[in-house]
Amino acid sequence: MATREARLARTFVEVADTLVADFDVVDLHTLVADRCVEIFAVDAAGVMVVAPGGDLRVTASSNEAARALELLELQSREGPCFDCCQNGRPMINLDLATLQGRWPRFAPTAIDHGFSTAHALPMRLRDEVIGALNLFQTAGRLEQQDVDGAQALADIATIAILHHRATIQTQLLNEQLDQALTSRIVIEQAKGMLAGLGSLTMDEAFNRLRAYARRTNRRLSDVARDLTDGTLTNADVDLPSPLERH
Amino acid sequence: MSMQRRARILALLASDGGSQLGTKRLCQVAASATRLTGAGIMLVSDGGPRGSLCTTDDVSSLIEQLQYTLGEGPCIDAYREDRAVVEPDLAAPEVYRWPAFSAPAVESGVRAVFGFPIRVGAVRLGALNLYRDRPGPLTAGQHADSLVTAMIVAEAILALQADAELGQIAQTLEVDSDFHYVVHQASGMVAVQLAISVEEALIRLRAYAFSSERTLADVARAVVERLLRFDRSSGPGRSS
Repeated sequence: MATREARLARTFVEVADTLVADFDVVDLHTLVADRCVEIFAVDAAGVMVVAPGGDLRVTASSNEAARALELLELQSREGPCFDCCQNGRPMINLDLATLQGRWPRFAPTAIDHGFSTAHALPMRLRDEVIGALNLFQTAGRLEQQDVDGAQALADIATIAILHHRATIQTQLLNEQLDQALTSRIVIEQAKGMLAGLGSLTMDEAFNRLRAYARRTNRRLSDVARDLTDGTLTNADVDLPSPLERH
Repeated sequence: MSMQRRARILALLASDGGSQLGTKRLCQVAASATRLTGAGIMLVSDGGPRGSLCTTDDVSSLIEQLQYTLGEGPCIDAYREDRAVVEPDLAAPEVYRWPAFSAPAVESGVRAVFGFPIRVGAVRLGALNLYRDRPGPLTAGQHADSLVTAMIVAEAILALQADAELGQIAQTLEVDSDFHYVVHQASGMVAVQLAISVEEALIRLRAYAFSSERTLADVARAVVERLLRFDRSSGPGRSS
């Protein structure tokens, strides 16, 4: 049987291995939730994140009970994970039996599922709270070393989200650049097509393309694409533009 | 180690007396950080090279023009194979990889050439083109600097594009760029002259440039200036 430290260390390696370019946040959060149950004295775990719009979302749960409780927290807007996402502070060793007044819907339901103690650890980037790791126990309390280890895993779940956000942003920018370049190229091709048979200059060809786009209330790049793929012909587009008549 | 390299290269980028970060500066720093003769930044997509964001000198420009014309060379390989491609002795390589590219490149003074993928994570943007006017391998330090520089270039390109309006290429990216617009204009002209698609027209232009040992840009300019016309009756590429 590996020691707690060895299993924790192995989990870090496992996570680092998962954090490659093309990874899935849900997969990684599920891994974090599962390892919490395996390594620490907890019976269920779950991860909740703050979506860009501010709404909370459940990304992972180690079992159905944890999932039901997390969803209940979202629904009833109460519970340790919900509070932790609001205030960003760790909430440790919460005795559910004594907290039924504070969380009238969450606490009794958690007890019904067989849990006695709940914990929530914040996933934080400087001042921004981006989620929380929820831990449940059927009996007992968490030792400080388990709390520290679980917080380290929560931090890893945080890194996964930040990494994911950066990747999305990168892909988006690259696609925008690529699309902008492609429409520009298609417009140049369309200008060439209009100029190829007659005697139009490239500027005149561009003016006619633009005039047609305005007449038909369409985007220049769409008209250009229709011309290059044969949906439109030169004869459709190639009329002297009002600009030239002035 | 890599953080120190990164810090040193970023310091080089920042040491330009407060002028705005642009592609020209990126290229110059790429050459100086790696202690090589010249550099260029080529954007590539899966369809092939798109164009050049900037080059430090005429030879770097020619390296990019040749690759664009011929569809082969270190940057294209670096992008396709997603790894560093090094040729320490272009005049006498151990393996002849680029039969069309090598001779004209050597003739213009390129003796060693290196391509590094420009990428952020899984997102690939193109390749950094580095050359030296004498043969010889990169030192381990130069190789590491090239990798870090390519990474910084990738981040800088995306950061600059972040300022663009939707559907537009950022002006800061376009200012020193060569996206071969004239080639696409010529493709459009040849397409209607030969009643073929623009894609086929580009292939015809490339073939003509290759067989007449001119760059694609030269041939395209001649088409657009109506010095060269492709015609169904008179065959491809007859000068008018």
